[in-house]
Amino acid sequence: MKYALFLGCKIPSKLPAYEASTRVVLGHLGVTLVDLDFNCCGYPARNVSRDAFAVTAARNLALAERAGLDVLTPCACCFGTLRHAIRFISEDAELRSRVTQALAAEGLAWSGHAGVEHLLTVLARKVSVDALAAAVRTPSTGLRVAAQYGCHALRPSNVTRFDNPMAPTIFETLIRATGATPVDWPRRLDCCGDPLHEANAQLSGHMTRAKIADALKSGAEVLCTACPHCHLRFDAAQTGSSDPTIRTLLYTQLLGLALGLPAKSLGL
Amino acid sequence: MSPAFFQSTLYASLALCALGLLWRVSAWFRVHIGPDARDVTFSRRVAAVFGGAASALFSLRVLRVLGTFVLDALFLRRLFANAKLRWLGHLLIVAGFTLLLLMHALAAVVSAKLLPGYQPTLYPYLLLRNLFGAMVLAGVALLLFGRWRQRRGLPQVRRPMDAAFVTLLATVLVAGFLLEGHKIASPRAFYRMAEQFSGTSDPAELKPLRAFWAREFGVAFGDLGESIDSNAVEEGRARHADACASCHSKPASAFISYPLSRALAQVTGILDSGRADIWLLYLHVLACFLGLGLLPFTRFFHAVAAPVSLLANAAARNRTQSVTVRASRRALALDACVRCGICDQQCSVAPLARYLGNPGLLPSHKLIATGELASGRILQSGHENDALRAADGAFLCTDCGRCTNYCPAGLDLEDLWIAARGDFAAEGLPAPAQWVQARPALAWAESMEVALAQHGFSDPDALFAPLSADRRSFSRCVQCQTCTNVCPVVAQGMDTEHGVDLTPQKVMNLLRLGLRDLTLGSRMVWDCATCYQCQEHCPEGVRVADIMYELRALAVHRLGSVRGLREPS
Repeated sequence: MKYALFLGCKIPSKLPAYEASTRVVLGHLGVTLVDLDFNCCGYPARNVSRDAFAVTAARNLALAERAGLDVLTPCACCFGTLRHAIRFISEDAELRSRVTQALAAEGLAWSGHAGVEHLLTVLARKVSVDALAAAVRTPSTGLRVAAQYGCHALRPSNVTRFDNPMAPTIFETLIRATGATPVDWPRRLDCCGDPLHEANAQLSGHMTRAKIADALKSGAEVLCTACPHCHLRFDAAQTGSSDPTIRTLLYTQLLGLALGLPAKSLGL
Repeated sequence: MSPAFFQSTLYASLALCALGLLWRVSAWFRVHIGPDARDVTFSRRVAAVFGGAASALFSLRVLRVLGTFVLDALFLRRLFANAKLRWLGHLLIVAGFTLLLLMHALAAVVSAKLLPGYQPTLYPYLLLRNLFGAMVLAGVALLLFGRWRQRRGLPQVRRPMDAAFVTLLATVLVAGFLLEGHKIASPRAFYRMAEQFSGTSDPAELKPLRAFWAREFGVAFGDLGESIDSNAVEEGRARHADACASCHSKPASAFISYPLSRALAQVTGILDSGRADIWLLYLHVLACFLGLGLLPFTRFFHAVAAPVSLLANAAARNRTQSVTVRASRRALALDACVRCGICDQQCSVAPLARYLGNPGLLPSHKLIATGELASGRILQSGHENDALRAADGAFLCTDCGRCTNYCPAGLDLEDLWIAARGDFAAEGLPAPAQWVQARPALAWAESMEVALAQHGFSDPDALFAPLSADRRSFSRCVQCQTCTNVCPVVAQGMDTEHGVDLTPQKVMNLLRLGLRDLTLGSRMVWDCATCYQCQEHCPEGVRVADIMYELRALAVHRLGSVRGLREPS
């Protein structure tokens, strides 16, 4: 199993533990990761120019295509953005010709062969939950974990094809595989507030804190994430806050601990 | 060239250089970048920097500083890791230039003292001078080639002062080679030396020596004719051994100047009568002095600032530094940037810069804009467009940190960008989400009406907002309010100060009514969290969140073009 690893902009500089834990966990499970000369997924450009967003995203897809690989990203926003780009370019012939022209300047081409997977979809469907469970050495038995799904991975489901958008189970299934107990919490599918932070920090803060309070109220000990944006937003909201706080853990860290990998190699 | 003239111009250029250095270094403590740096006074910044430097000197960190000086400042380890060819080019220039400076320019104080029997016209100094000059020329060529090869269609920062300085450097080298080449072939130079060291300049008396020098040293005597008598050459050899050999080796080892002298030999008469030896010397020396005096005012000041930046990194106790120190580091970064453009090649949003045609997104351009913002230049009238584009670029940065990781000068560019965004915002050029929301949606709609009446809008809707331009994408909306009910932003309340003005369903309704312009500046559009709950839940399959994204992109474009227009009072 081999993928082009798409880390995006946030992980390498702001959340290196996610990169480290993703590499060590996937390596342990026999998934080979290849590094390509990727750029920004195009997410911030959606607010500025649909064309620029599509070209930026398509350049990444074209690089993966040239390497003959599908993309694996641990970032829900990069995942959704790249999937969106595929949809936009596929459904709009004029956009596609502009994208083709822009890529040709670099000797690149997009034909739609490179697929885009999220870390969780690869773990659940390619590596398989059974294989994960079999590889667990030190299960986190009894640890109550709240799964933070991440909007851009989950919705719109006809674009992301991540899971059932109303009642997803993929994240809870993966948590269960580590021996931990997934917690049912009412706000599990809500937005973490991060995309709104620049435009309206106060509103964004309300949303983040509401989620943290809900996870705590539901009895969770750990808030588990699979997106750097969600993770960093939760951490930022809890830094210096007088409200009750919850431990955040990346899914790759939770899994890595259960696999018996050294905590230090997981950025812990 | 009289010694008095030489000395007075030398001291003048040294004084200019010293003043320039003082001025530029003081800027590291004077220039304010970032809102948090404004209250940090000059004296506090000086104290923090020198205090930090002193504490590093008297601790074990001094070893790290020394290591950094050798590996990073002298041997450019960070450049080696990322661009081998340019590393080689840079090393050639630095080594060639330094050796020329020591052996040739400072010959009276260095070579004459250290090298027994040093004469510039002796072997191996003839060879070495050419070699060092060739190293500098080859280095410049490699750097230019490296820049050209790695530009990847990105616009590069070009400033007239920098180009002028490179031309000046080239002038020094080319004039030096021409001068040497000319003097090798010049009969006038020969007679001057002969007069001085054998007491005569009579051509008849000097015939044997001339014959020897014509054959062995390449002097182009016009009156010797084609055939040179071998007996005369042998006689000349003896006289040469007496009078000249102690100071003159055969010039053929000067592998650039000697071939050059063969070419110049054809016109040596003209050059001699035009006193090329004098004006080439003036050109060579004055270009050197001018370069010395101007150095602090060009980007070659990085020769001072970049090592300081690298050493400051090594001397720092922690990675995160206080704002007092960062205030100075930001100002230093403006000077330490080499304009190598490696950051631009690594920039995550470089494809965006290319496609949007806005180099303002690229780190090397952002650095210039940051400096111009700090000096206020970019805010002067006539530069409005530059300022807007620079701000647009600054806010599209994703803070990925790659520029910082790859910078050969070790600059904390991420910190600089965050500070610059703060400055742009403070100068009335904030992020789109901020400047759009500074006015109510209705005010924007009225500004657009004015603009429409004046000149219309040139942008085709289908390019920016194909969904909202096509009624089929929203006409199915039945105003059921499902989108509004699942919207987490609406759920935070519409009545509070920070709540939204419209609901998603109302935005769709305005589109249905053909009142799209009313939505562009609305808080709902700009406060949309893009969580896609609305789109997922819409029973009619309206792509509500996709439309919200589009409306923002259209707003940035359209409202951006009417930012200066206020609604008629």
